[in-house]
Amino acid sequence: MSITRRLPLVLFAAAAISIPYSVQRIFLHTGIEKKMGTVQKIFYFHVPLAWIMMALAIACGVAAAIQLRNRSRMAEAVSIATGELVLITGLAVLVTGPIWGHASWGRAWTWDARQVSTGLLWMIFAAFVLLRRYGAAGSERLAAALAVFGAVDVPVIYYAVKIWKTTHPTTDVVGSLPPQMWNSLWPALGALVCLTLGVLLVRIRQEQDAAELDDAWIALDERGRQLGGAS
Amino acid sequence: MRNDLLRGPAPAPEPTTDPTTAGDAYEPVTGLDQQTVQCVRACEAEAAAKTASDYEHVVWAYGVIWSLFAVYGVLLWRRAAAQRRDLDELRRRIDKG
Repeated sequence: MSITRRLPLVLFAAAAISIPYSVQRIFLHTGIEKKMGTVQKIFYFHVPLAWIMMALAIACGVAAAIQLRNRSRMAEAVSIATGELVLITGLAVLVTGPIWGHASWGRAWTWDARQVSTGLLWMIFAAFVLLRRYGAAGSERLAAALAVFGAVDVPVIYYAVKIWKTTHPTTDVVGSLPPQMWNSLWPALGALVCLTLGVLLVRIRQEQDAAELDDAWIALDERGRQLGGAS
Repeated sequence: MRNDLLRGPAPAPEPTTDPTTAGDAYEPVTGLDQQTVQCVRACEAEAAAKTASDYEHVVWAYGVIWSLFAVYGVLLWRRAAAQRRDLDELRRRIDKG
């Protein structure tokens, strides 16, 4: 078995061990936050998912830019896989955030700058995925341009809490966490990175296989046409 | 006796201001009646208990995260199965032709 096929299995095994470990750390070994109470436990998966979503969006934008410039198949497969995972992680962030907000702010959606910019990022990548899946021939270049545009939104999300007055906590909160909370945040981040990377590698492989299958079908059809023409 | 009456009542002792116990000293609540104080304390206790055991939001949030990954996993599985079928069909055509 090649390393590219074995690596996702290793990552899934690491995720299978680290997910239960991080959940038991969060609920059994980390104290309840004084002001927000139990609902603060959402933080340990909400924040790492937001980091992963932003990293994936940048990776998708870079891969799409390479695809636009070099017409690289590998870059195309990476941009499709990362684009889909931006949708999954983005949806998780956009649902868990308002659930947390409903408990601690009293309202799920406050039209906060960070909420709006994250929602915008999600919609841009939804358009990218739909265009890649259902777009006509040549639409892959438009989709790649959309992905580059989406990646530009990432710094806007990060700096939204610094530029505008928001109800969302600032980026300084994470740096000021006590060691006990960091000790639970790291395993959660590690577990989600392993899971996401594993899924990403599987999806990239699928996209490469699909492209090779398409090539094989086209070659077979052309061979059949040539044989038909010769007889 | 007469001298005592002329002096008047003995002055009240100076309140002790020990800095170590000043914060813990009993301070009667003023401006609120007993009923209001009890009501506020009950509301605060109820809010604190609710905050400390708000598992509903946590369960929803964790449930959504794992459900999304599970659904995406199923979609990948189905896509892989479709690709295997496509590959088998291609092999069959090549063997036939």
